[in-house]
Amino acid sequence: MKRPTRTEARNARAAFGFLLPFLAVFLLCFIAPIGYAIYQSLLKVERPAPLGIGGPTNEVWAGLSNYSHALEDERFINGFGRVLLFGIVQVPVMLVFATALALLLDAASARWVGFFRTAFFLPYGIPGVIASILWGFLYVPGISPLVEIADSAGWQVDFLGRDAVLWSIANIVTWQFTGYNMLVLIAQLKAIPGDLYEAARIDGASAWQIVRHVKLPLIKPALVLTTVFSIIGTLQLFAEPMVLRPLGTSIDSGYTPNLHAYNEAFTSNNQHIAAAEAVLLALVACVLSFGFLKLVGRGPRDGRDGK
Amino acid sequence: MSQQPPLRHRIITLSLLSVAAIYFLVPVYWLTVSATKDTGDLFGTFGFWFANPHPVDYLHDVLTYDDGIYVTWMLNSLLYAGVGALAATLLSAAAGYALAKFVFRGREAIFNVILAGVLIPGTALALPLYLLFSEVGLANTYWAVLVPSVVSPFGVYLCRIYASAAVPDSLLEAARIDGAGETRIFGTVVLRLMSPALVTVFLFQFVHIWNNFFLPLVMLNDSDLYPIQLGLVGWQGYADRAPELYQYTVGGAFMSVIPLMVLMGVLQRYWRTGLAEGSVKT
Amino acid sequence: MSPRGPGRRAVVGAAAAAAGAALAGCGDDGHEVRERRKGEKITLNFWSWVPGIENPVALWNEHHPEVRINLEKVSAVGGAQYAKMHAAVKAGDAPDLAQIEYSVVPSFLLDNALVDLSAYGGDRYRSRFVGWQWQQSVYGRSVYAIPQDSGPMGLFLRQDLFDEWRIRTPRTWAEYADAARAVRKHGAWIETFSATNGNRFAALAWQAGGRWFGTRGDTWTVAIDDAPSLRVADFWSRLVDDELIKTIPDRQNAWYKDIQTGDIVSWLGASWGDALLTGNAPDTAGKWRAASLPQWKRGENAQANWGGSTTAVFTDCTYPRDALAFAVWLNSAPEAVQLLIKGGYGFPSAVSGYSTADLEGRREFFGGQHYSRIFIEAGKAVDTSWKWGPTVDTLYQRLGDAFLEAIGDGTAFRSVLRKVQGETIEDLKDKGLKVEAGQSSASG
Repeated sequence: MKRPTRTEARNARAAFGFLLPFLAVFLLCFIAPIGYAIYQSLLKVERPAPLGIGGPTNEVWAGLSNYSHALEDERFINGFGRVLLFGIVQVPVMLVFATALALLLDAASARWVGFFRTAFFLPYGIPGVIASILWGFLYVPGISPLVEIADSAGWQVDFLGRDAVLWSIANIVTWQFTGYNMLVLIAQLKAIPGDLYEAARIDGASAWQIVRHVKLPLIKPALVLTTVFSIIGTLQLFAEPMVLRPLGTSIDSGYTPNLHAYNEAFTSNNQHIAAAEAVLLALVACVLSFGFLKLVGRGPRDGRDGK
Repeated sequence: MSQQPPLRHRIITLSLLSVAAIYFLVPVYWLTVSATKDTGDLFGTFGFWFANPHPVDYLHDVLTYDDGIYVTWMLNSLLYAGVGALAATLLSAAAGYALAKFVFRGREAIFNVILAGVLIPGTALALPLYLLFSEVGLANTYWAVLVPSVVSPFGVYLCRIYASAAVPDSLLEAARIDGAGETRIFGTVVLRLMSPALVTVFLFQFVHIWNNFFLPLVMLNDSDLYPIQLGLVGWQGYADRAPELYQYTVGGAFMSVIPLMVLMGVLQRYWRTGLAEGSVKT
Repeated sequence: MSPRGPGRRAVVGAAAAAAGAALAGCGDDGHEVRERRKGEKITLNFWSWVPGIENPVALWNEHHPEVRINLEKVSAVGGAQYAKMHAAVKAGDAPDLAQIEYSVVPSFLLDNALVDLSAYGGDRYRSRFVGWQWQQSVYGRSVYAIPQDSGPMGLFLRQDLFDEWRIRTPRTWAEYADAARAVRKHGAWIETFSATNGNRFAALAWQAGGRWFGTRGDTWTVAIDDAPSLRVADFWSRLVDDELIKTIPDRQNAWYKDIQTGDIVSWLGASWGDALLTGNAPDTAGKWRAASLPQWKRGENAQANWGGSTTAVFTDCTYPRDALAFAVWLNSAPEAVQLLIKGGYGFPSAVSGYSTADLEGRREFFGGQHYSRIFIEAGKAVDTSWKWGPTVDTLYQRLGDAFLEAIGDGTAFRSVLRKVQGETIEDLKDKGLKVEAGQSSASG
């Protein structure tokens, strides 16, 4: 590498000036707490006083014992299995749904596009907890008009039953985020120059062939992006099971890893174990996301086109 | 042959879109209907139809309950989301521009670290962040929610993609030769060129902050500082002692959806100039 | 000598130890405890979630310009308020005072978060409060919180349906099981066993004579699976097996619906449940009555408590004497108690300053019955020797998880208690505590 020229040095200084505000807050709000969480996960408390009352609470070195404690916790591990199953089913379903809607909107006549796009995107503007309260009313037998309608059609459904509840949560997530993903995909579709379609049409390609051979390949970067975000979102599943938990008898305190970590920290006040679980969760999220990017053969940087 | 696809296709497309719209709107419809019911009717009548509706009275009750705390929450939400998203957009624009248009050592490393920030679960950050903020006296203040909200790793990602495509190097060079300072170039030329991406970043970050439950849950104690959804969950949590709160929760949820609808309606036309547009423009 | 308060990580024990720790702990993270000088103006932060609490606080501020109370209403969703208090204690900026439930007092003692009020003469207010409620916050020789309210239990029932079906109000649990069968014959249910309602299960075990937590010397004792508790578990296990009760969660949407429609015709609830029934099933007004809890032995009078809070002073408080004065005033001064009752908190812990009529704002709903008398009597007969342990919230969660599992796969509830017993012992160990299974030595 050659020595930096004067322009490059000036460049670096300017770049640093533009980066600084973001990096400062990023360090404070992301890096520092992560470091703190890792540090916390390596400690435990001792309360040597009689009954643990009226004496010091000492934070002592715990090595990896919090990690082994977390990994030996059956409920915590089961939670991982559950969100993985959830992700394998829900993420593809949602993205296929979002892609279909994006393509349909792309093909529909202009007059209605605005209405539909707003309608599909609207749920994204409803906070997860509110969405869950809302769907909760639509799930609970005896109140839900959906159950009532299904009943009168002779179809017995229990949305909050043991086998169904995971998919009821999946529905809430799909409902909330399909529109968001659709929007990202539409943005990419809009970027495809019209003459590309024109050329394909002149070549005699059918609408389906255009979708298959022109549109889908072109929105692949956006699909990769939304997949990664969906995987991360799945692993962080929290608000929906937390809100639905009291409504039924199928969701336990460790239903998702995030819920488990939350309850360790916030119900049981075991911050050290919770910190270890949070670190494990972040690790799994990183491994899965980067694994997926490797699988589709793109580093995250390659999402940046046009160079 | 005209540009219009055949009628049959249009009908199929329209009906598929309509079915999807029903799926997305039914819960919103339920919310609208339920906002006109009192607690008894909420549990006792068919959810998809009105029963003895008094929407004005009930929504008035929501607004005035507990000395109008709901209005405070609404304003707080607007403050957190509005100010937070605005700051986040500016910070992301600057950082994304720097990463796209300047060559310096460690650029990719910094970018990768920022991207990895997207992967960290909220619960992992919330409690340590709370403890850190408590040390500096920021916990339980507006800043406790605002400061973390101005970080948008995703925004940086989008801005970098967009800037690298939509801001021509030649333009920057020309401006530099004219003797314009870097800040001035950014302020006048770059921000304008990036504006479609900035609208997108603003919109997404606004919704992100608006929807964020975990951060305010951990950071705030004083209900005067709550954003809307934290307040509503609080109402629901206490509804077993004060049942009218069920009605207020539903009514409050209904009204909380309105600002987002307005925002989306207003920003609708900007979506057309999508965020990825620039990426193939070069 | 004037009592010296401890630093953040210091001692809440005897005064001598506290003084020593204050000296040692008043470093950069310690803090000062002071007596307020005459005329000095101070502000105390107070966290609470009682509806209407702002009224008595405003009244206090009106009359005590020197000791201003700054109320912060906190959200009590899923116990998050305690997590915040624990975190604030850890960060060294806990409030001066806070509302905490009886059952979590020990968990705060583990963090050395509560001021030993006995050191400030707190004991002399004992007579102003119901004995067993005062006792709930006594650990060792010290009292750590001033009782605010409680939830003596009773049986709410749809008298009209019971009469129509010629079912007598059950006096014993055996009669209760019979009544469950009879109600079921009419297509309705007597009750639901809510797996996740650990509070109520604990209360029923308490009534039966269970003693889940205790101490033996410097060691905590845990006996979730003691004989009385197993008896309660077996009783409900059988009702569930025989499909005589539902297993939906109580006080949730589906339950409210059942209460409205008469699908569920009674509820083992607490004194504060009147507001809940009135608000959620307004169309059933006049049809409900309250009765005493069924007994395990005919003619006995064993009662139970579900819920209830205290006002505690935190060790970060610089002026504990003034904080204590406010806590006592809030919970025992007639004008404050009246305002709290109006706001709709639980059953007053104060023994005087209100009349039974004040507690019966909803008499028409109960067909004119003087229903508060049931709860006043119940409150007098709650066994005072029940103690809470330091991991009660975790315990409720474990009970909930285990009951969910048991209901799902049909195992007997007995196994739930055995399992949770083992888990709870591990939980206490994880907290760095000495623990063993079995009854406390001072049981009785």
